[in-house]
Amino acid sequence: MRVAVTGTPGTGKTSATRLLESEEGGDHTVIHLNELIESDEDLWTERDDDRGSLVADLEAIADRLGDWDGILESHLAHYFDADRVVVLRCAPETLEERLTERGEPPAKARENAESEALDVILSEAVERFGREHVHEIDTTDAEPAAVAAEIEAVIDGDREPSAGTVDFTGYL
Amino acid sequence: MSDSEDGKWGIAHVYASFNNTLITVTDETGAETIAKSSGGTVVKQNRDEASPYAAMQMAEVVAEEVKAAGLEGVHVRVRGPGGNLNKSTGPGAQATIRALARAGVEIGRIEDVTPIPHDGTKAPKNKRI
Ligand SMILES: Nc1ncnc2c1ncn2[C@@H]1O[C@H](COP(=O)(O)OP(=O)(O)O)[C@@H](O)[C@H]1O
Ligand SMILES: [Mg+2]
Repeated sequence: MRVAVTGTPGTGKTSATRLLESEEGGDHTVIHLNELIESDEDLWTERDDDRGSLVADLEAIADRLGDWDGILESHLAHYFDADRVVVLRCAPETLEERLTERGEPPAKARENAESEALDVILSEAVERFGREHVHEIDTTDAEPAAVAAEIEAVIDGDREPSAGTVDFTGYL
Repeated sequence: MSDSEDGKWGIAHVYASFNNTLITVTDETGAETIAKSSGGTVVKQNRDEASPYAAMQMAEVVAEEVKAAGLEGVHVRVRGPGGNLNKSTGPGAQATIRALARAGVEIGRIEDVTPIPHDGTKAPKNKRI
């Protein structure tokens, strides 16, 4: 089973999926895709200097992932083939705070919060996979352990698909 | 040039999310808000707030306010996946622009300024694989 865990940076993908990986006592193999891309120059094409970000080479990454299995975790995870997609969500005000507290510059926290308010990643996930394969989880008031339990429920087939369960446009 | 004999122009900011469409018209500096509307004010059901029908209803109201303010036309800044001009999801933005034009507001430049999620990495512009 391939589960893509995506969501705007700051929604808590890395924190929640760490709790599910075998190294941490969980049952799953987790690929932390951002770390993989940043560690291998074959997996990106250029730098976006304005955003301090590497532009991912989606084809090279798909080749590298090959016949992957387990959990793929990144705000880019929904660009790759998977059986189910989990989209983590977070109220933009809270997301901006989380990113700022994590030490990110204000412009980065702000642009990510705006993209969360506009449902950018949710829409991409639904467009690519269809509503029947997308599971939206609101993490705004949930601890990472509770979010991890919801992801586990998706993997076990115990959670119905969902999309559009939040409206964060008040932030705009 | 903008406030010469050709009259004043405004900026229509269209925010098109999965669930909702918002329109705010400001002056060209962005300082003064001339008109404002959201999908929630024109339809009863939440799920209809991002529909082309809601966008059209909003655009008609906004167009009247734009004309009453004496603006000649608007440049359009679209933000959001629902605003993506060549995709089928969230048709709010396209419907908004068409309805503004139909109501007699001249449409100038249309720009897509959707924010991009990024975290040390980001997707390329062409995301198809
Ligand atoms: N469920 C949560 N509740 C509160 N804070 C959280 C939660 N999940 C993560 N955080 C905090 O928010 C920040 C972003 O979390 P992280 O897991 O790095 O997100 P992502 O991998 O989605 O970018 C971190 O500082 C983390 O400690
Ligand atoms: Mg992360």
